[in-house]
Amino acid sequence: MEAMLCEVKGLSKRFGAIAALEDVTFHVRRGELLGLIGPNGAGKSTLFECMAGVLASDSGSLCAGGRAVSGRARTELLFYVPDGISPWPEQSAGWALDFTIGFLGGRAELRDEVVGQLGLAPLLGQHIGTLSKGQRKRVLLGVGLLTPQPALLIDEPFEGLDLRQAREIALALRVHAERGRTLFLSIHQISDAARVCDRFVLLSGGRVRGEGTVPELAALAKRTDEDLEEVFLALT
Amino acid sequence: MRGWSTAAFLWLLDKEWRALVTSRSWWILLMGMGPLVGLSFIGAVTTYAEVSGLNGTSAGVGEALSPLIGIWAPTFSACELAAVFLLPFVVIRMVAGDRQSGALKLEMQQGLPAFVRAAAKAMVLVAGWLVAMLPPASAVLLWKSYGGTLHAPELATLAAGHILNAGLTIGLAAAMASFAEHPSTAAILTLSATVGTWIVSFIGAVQGGWWERAAGYTPAAMVGEFQHGLLRLDTVLIAIALSLTGLGIATVWMRLGIAVKRRLYETAAVGAVGLCVIFAATQCRASWDTSEARGNSFSESDERALGRIEQPLKIVAHLAQEDPRRVDLEHRAISKLRRVMPQLEVQYVAGTSIGLFEQTSAGYGEIWYELGGHRTMSRVTTAEGVLEAIYSLTGTAPAAENEEPEFRGHPLATQPKGAATLFYGIWPGMFLAAALVIRRRLK
Repeated sequence: MEAMLCEVKGLSKRFGAIAALEDVTFHVRRGELLGLIGPNGAGKSTLFECMAGVLASDSGSLCAGGRAVSGRARTELLFYVPDGISPWPEQSAGWALDFTIGFLGGRAELRDEVVGQLGLAPLLGQHIGTLSKGQRKRVLLGVGLLTPQPALLIDEPFEGLDLRQAREIALALRVHAERGRTLFLSIHQISDAARVCDRFVLLSGGRVRGEGTVPELAALAKRTDEDLEEVFLALT
Repeated sequence: MRGWSTAAFLWLLDKEWRALVTSRSWWILLMGMGPLVGLSFIGAVTTYAEVSGLNGTSAGVGEALSPLIGIWAPTFSACELAAVFLLPFVVIRMVAGDRQSGALKLEMQQGLPAFVRAAAKAMVLVAGWLVAMLPPASAVLLWKSYGGTLHAPELATLAAGHILNAGLTIGLAAAMASFAEHPSTAAILTLSATVGTWIVSFIGAVQGGWWERAAGYTPAAMVGEFQHGLLRLDTVLIAIALSLTGLGIATVWMRLGIAVKRRLYETAAVGAVGLCVIFAATQCRASWDTSEARGNSFSESDERALGRIEQPLKIVAHLAQEDPRRVDLEHRAISKLRRVMPQLEVQYVAGTSIGLFEQTSAGYGEIWYELGGHRTMSRVTTAEGVLEAIYSLTGTAPAAENEEPEFRGHPLATQPKGAATLFYGIWPGMFLAAALVIRRRLK
């Protein structure tokens, strides 16, 4: 059993009359590959943004070592890679990786390895703004993997990738997790999540419907089979 | 080690500089500066030459011509235009671009304080503005090559005024770009604020009173003072305070993950601190007349005589707001008096703003002076007339003709040779070439 890295306690967020998150509580273990799964509009991105401090939550906290973590301390604990962004569009992918190392305190020793794992070599000289969705996603994954925080939150890591790329990247993520980095992935394709992650947090309608490994979730759903899709449907 | 470190800040500066040099808006600003300066400079040199005796004008007419008023004020006015109509777009692009692209979400996780991020942007924008001031600076060299004279302090004051004015634009546009959801909204808000200052100036000219006082601190009025070589401490401090307030508000709204209500409170707090500093700055009286012609000052002997008056002087002028005599009185005498007599109280009395139908009223046009229980009245609005009235109250004779050399002007009858090539060809061409090379190198 891995040690706990952090805990989300009673996180809630409303956008006017809409409750995006309601009393969300779960644990994140050190060095695990945790999947946040849920349908579109479940509140996955909102949850990540609240955890990263990019979005203000209405209530609740992120705790580590029994203490609430906020502000600067949170930026020491986790790094969040949003989905659908195109940062520094006029700069090259290579510059973005160097900037990650220089400004975000990224690990320079991992640069070549990450470039190889994500197949970034042909993209290094290209403007980020000119990259395809999948290429941009790979560059952003590279940025995330170079950052030094113990936990990495990635929103839709396989979005825009073809099957081969998705598998290669899943392998790369596994390598980083095995080295002790905690990866928390928001994935709306449950089949992708089932292939990559060790444990899952099921989110639907802004509420946590279950947390655990596939057998644990199957037990929670009172199902004998361990098909994550069926378990998810039963719990949501 | 992440967070506040020199290395991280240098990376941030590098990133901001790259954002600036890859922005089309900045290059458009640079390419526009050459023709704008050229138009003003060529027109100014031509007019200056005509007044100086070129093409048959009587020689000697141009005596007392000051390059500050004749050449530099119009030439550098290109900077004022660019600061109002072009610079805001450069600033908005720099500030709003990070949020639009999503880079802000990544960068804020570095943990660097938001004010440091805002400072990095401001530093790069000021550097970008200094590059934009190269064409007017080249006009100085051109003028020198024609045999024109330069008075460095007045030129430095004028340049400083335009840098402060750009600082105001940077503060304002940065605040709007951080506050508004979309860059186009930020542009509209920034231009609205600029138009708002023009409205204040207009109302000030018509209504007088507090409006007039507020109008004295608008960017246009501030630049006007610098154009006359007047360096006022209160104006400088207020310009800096306004710029920093704008950057402070930008800092508040640049951060992510903070509830809107808290940001509103913080904005109000920053605004309140800014207002306090501005109010304190209005109490500063120090000023320096850096113009070679001493156009903002009485003669040194008169200033010494006025400085010896210890009692408060009250002036009540029965002149309407829009009466040209009032403008004369204010510009030729009162503004100079304020610089040397801290205990001066000026009151304008009029029933209407234009004064057209008050001309026949008894007492209209009278200017009453009160000092140490003595009163006198005069209708003269010139500096000499005002000084005469004051000396009659103090019982002292007007200051003796001073020995100091009188400003005789620097007439120069010359054509603006090479200016068209430089400003319409070389500068835009150089900036265009630099844009292509630098953007390609960054690619």
